Amino acid sequence: MESIGHELGIWLAVAWLLPLLGFFIEIFGGYWGTRLSKTAAHMAVVCIATGFVCSSIAFVRWGAVTDWAALELHAPVSATHFYEEPNAAKHSGHGSSEAATAIKKSFSGQYYQLALFGDLEIAIDYYIDSLTLVMFMMVTLVATCIHIFALGYMSDELTDDHIDHEVHLANGSHMHRPGRYYRFFSYMSLFCFSMLGLVLAGNIFMVFVFWELVGICSYLLIGFYTERHSASTAANKAFIVNRVGDFGFIIGLMIIWTWCGTFQFYEYDSVSQSRPGLFQMVRTADGQLDREGDVVYLQDGQGHRLVNAHNQQPIGIEYMLLVAAGIGIFAGCVGKSAQFPLQTWLPDAMEGPTPVSALVHSATMVAAGVYLAGRFFPIFTPEVLLTIAYVGCITLFVAATIAIVATDIKRVLAYSTISQLGYMMLAIGVAGWVAGLFHLITHAFFKSLMFLCSGSVIIGCHHEQEMTRMGGLWRKMPVTAFTMLVGVIAISGLAIPGVIAFSGYHSKDAIMATSLAFFGLNSSHFLLYFVPLITAGITAFYMFRLWFYTFLGEPRDQELHEHVHEQSWVMTGPLVVLAVFAAFCAVGGEHGYLFRLLADSEPAGIAAGTIGVSGIALPTHKQVGAVHMTAGAYALVVACLGTLMAYAFYGIKILNPEDVKRQFAGVYRFLVQKWQFDKLYDVMFVKPAHIIAGWCVAIDRGIIDAFLHRTVKTGVDVSNWDRRFDEVVIDGLVNSIGNVTFAFGRSLRVLQTGLLRQYVMFIAIGVVGLFLLLFVFFPK
Amino acid sequence: MSGEHVLFSLFAISTCASAVAVVVSQNIVRMAFWLIVSLGSTAGLFFLLHADFVAATQMLVYVGGTLVLLIFGVMLTASGPYLRLKIPPGQGIMAAGIGCVFLAMIFVTVVAVDWNETIVTPDGFNEPGAGNTARGLGLSLLGFRPDKDLGAADGSLSTGYLLPFEIISVHLLVVLIGAAYLARAKRRVASTDTEN
Amino acid sequence: MGEIGLKPYLLVGAVLFVTGIVCMASKRNGIGVLMGVELVLNGANVNFVAFSRYTALGLDGQIISLFVIVLAAAEAAVALAIALNFYNNHLTIDVDRGNELRG
Repeated sequence: MESIGHELGIWLAVAWLLPLLGFFIEIFGGYWGTRLSKTAAHMAVVCIATGFVCSSIAFVRWGAVTDWAALELHAPVSATHFYEEPNAAKHSGHGSSEAATAIKKSFSGQYYQLALFGDLEIAIDYYIDSLTLVMFMMVTLVATCIHIFALGYMSDELTDDHIDHEVHLANGSHMHRPGRYYRFFSYMSLFCFSMLGLVLAGNIFMVFVFWELVGICSYLLIGFYTERHSASTAANKAFIVNRVGDFGFIIGLMIIWTWCGTFQFYEYDSVSQSRPGLFQMVRTADGQLDREGDVVYLQDGQGHRLVNAHNQQPIGIEYMLLVAAGIGIFAGCVGKSAQFPLQTWLPDAMEGPTPVSALVHSATMVAAGVYLAGRFFPIFTPEVLLTIAYVGCITLFVAATIAIVATDIKRVLAYSTISQLGYMMLAIGVAGWVAGLFHLITHAFFKSLMFLCSGSVIIGCHHEQEMTRMGGLWRKMPVTAFTMLVGVIAISGLAIPGVIAFSGYHSKDAIMATSLAFFGLNSSHFLLYFVPLITAGITAFYMFRLWFYTFLGEPRDQELHEHVHEQSWVMTGPLVVLAVFAAFCAVGGEHGYLFRLLADSEPAGIAAGTIGVSGIALPTHKQVGAVHMTAGAYALVVACLGTLMAYAFYGIKILNPEDVKRQFAGVYRFLVQKWQFDKLYDVMFVKPAHIIAGWCVAIDRGIIDAFLHRTVKTGVDVSNWDRRFDEVVIDGLVNSIGNVTFAFGRSLRVLQTGLLRQYVMFIAIGVVGLFLLLFVFFPK
Repeated sequence: MSGEHVLFSLFAISTCASAVAVVVSQNIVRMAFWLIVSLGSTAGLFFLLHADFVAATQMLVYVGGTLVLLIFGVMLTASGPYLRLKIPPGQGIMAAGIGCVFLAMIFVTVVAVDWNETIVTPDGFNEPGAGNTARGLGLSLLGFRPDKDLGAADGSLSTGYLLPFEIISVHLLVVLIGAAYLARAKRRVASTDTEN
Repeated sequence: MGEIGLKPYLLVGAVLFVTGIVCMASKRNGIGVLMGVELVLNGANVNFVAFSRYTALGLDGQIISLFVIVLAAAEAAVALAIALNFYNNHLTIDVDRGNELRG
């Protein structure tokens, strides 16, 4: 069994590392190619397409080895099959490594150990289960489509002189710069590498490393048009707001490491059962918390409590600390997935090129937060789950309301993304684990599809992004219009039950069912059901508003309409592919293949529900199944209502949106200002930071610089005094000695007259003097 | 008043007076003449001191050689007939004064010393009126001292003055060559005023 | 009155010596200076011979005075050559003109 894990690890490692290789080659594209060569882009496409192939092969191999047990049905096919009583044989993938009847479907292993600090091992691990494989395939497929789309979209960078019309120089002209085609694709390759690494990671440290890496790629890609002030500011904002979330992430990491002593998710090495993985430690085999009073005891993965090797006492972690760890990890997810209160960066991130918005900010990076929340589900206590649910609830409502009034086509889609991410978080919070991840996959397809369609529209309208200047485009861009319609229907959750339903209907259905069950068990949390329900209607409303505004009706700008045209197959091909997936990837709903694959990775214990000590009851699968029909019906009704309202306002225009705007002018202004979050954060954080920075500057200049200048001046004064002392005293002393000697010598010079006679005289005088001296003045 | 005293006085006064005359006279040729007189009188003094060989040598070498040389020098370095080289009177007085002081100093010294104690005349040697020193001088120049070594024991013979004699010979040779070189014919420095 | 004794001779020698010094110091003519030198050496010779006669110096004094005479002659020759050189260079025998070594 180990060899299949190893083999899967190799397949996925190839898919993961190929984009990195591509990055290293493409980033130097400026040296080995011209600005007009598409080679770097083709390389990027080949790398990621090969990655898709490898992931598919891995998936097929996994299925073959496990006999497609994940898709097996042990009972006759029925819509509610999934929600039957939990079967230990089916859901024993985790927790116990020697369940005799279970087929091992998840594999963990190590690629390379980086460091060993005592007990703490930092290594490059992989953890492969059905969720990993599905994510890999989704990411690589969506990335391939978007790469191909970008081949056409970014083609205006294929020049040595690119004019950026949004950057104005001092003399009023537009900025000229060389094209950056190859650089875009190198960044995209790096991003794919980072995202796949995050999905593949088998320990939380590796997740964090790749978490940051995707953040960096997002920064690079948002700020791709570096010279635009708006773009570079948006890139900064994205990165900084993400860092705020990562602060909580690190706190969670620290708590986990301090008590659990390991970063790894699961440890399946049956040879050396040295240390169980993180999730095996916190939960028992059937997914419950071993809690006594305020302490949660850690497990050893074999059904007993983990004991300290030194004093044979069971190791426990304080319950509140576990809650804190969960909130910390979730804080990272809040930052990355743009949940309330850190959602302000995602709309600004639309400054990047549209393929970036499609790949990074709708399908993959922002979904990483949801993915992590799903992976870390065993760590989250019911209090944390409730927090997650409420955060998701607030987010989905706030974002949806703002999307109603947005007029930039990409902004609408951005707020839609935030809203749908809120749905996913809500689902995870109410223990709808599979529902949330199901929605993640379907959302990836239809959101990236819609972003690409909007990109096609933007290119067609010559970089016009305001919907107020579009209209009636379906005649000129039929493929785009039709694929966009597919995406809109998918996200709205419209369907004819039993006949045809696009993917979004099934996933949203699952979420609504879970939240209704939760509401049924905990009636005080009614908001967790009603708000998503209403928002489903709002979602349908603004999405159809977008579609009607853009594609239907009369053109609002005639001149723009003249030059609109459909794009080449390079750009429309991926639209069609994604549309197919957006429509049919979830066919079969809860007993479709996708749902079953995801359900295979569900952490143990969700199916059985939980009665939390804090009074929160999580629904069992059976309870969810019971309310499934009602929830689905209500959701469909609300969605249809929203669609009809949109049709009334923007389709056939029997109602006038202007009237509504005037009547609710205050609300309208509030929504247009994005609930004033930007202003709030500006006042709360940005301005105080500037004030403190101003103080620091003042201290620096007034005190530190003054001190330094004073010190310098003192030094200079001392050296001046020193110099004068040197010159006057010491040099004077030396000079005076020299002068005295010289004067003495000069005075002696007088004797050297050069006259012979005088020398004789001196001799004579000398003798006389000597005689006098010796015999007269100093007689013996 | 023996004849010796008279002779001594004569010669002494002649020597001193002509020496002073050398100093006093302004004409270089007359200075040469007075010098000849002085040196000749000195020779006379030598005769009185029983140093006949030295006296003869003095006359020959000094008067006959050196003085003639000096006169030749006077002729070769003659300046115009009416040119008189005078020193400033102040310097002359000072020179005379220093000279007097010097002389007084030596006089005092000579007079103050009691020479009788130092005068020791060994027996059989250098008796007054012995004269005839040529043989003794010659022998000692060859390395044999008759006045000291006669009757002396073996091993205590003196060396005489053979070595200085040789040195003097070489010295004279060197002087000869040197003087010949120094006085060789060479270009005279061109004068600014007319040659006579 | 017996023999003359040493002192008079010494006094004569002293007079000769001092006269020579004064002559050297007061003659501007180079040859005059040389004459002064002769006088000095002469005075020394008288001293030597006097001591040779009246003390235990014996023949040594006379030998030395012989050497002095020879050396005086040699020195006079060389000095004359120098004087001739001086005359050639300065076109005058006035030693006061030759003060190039003035400090």
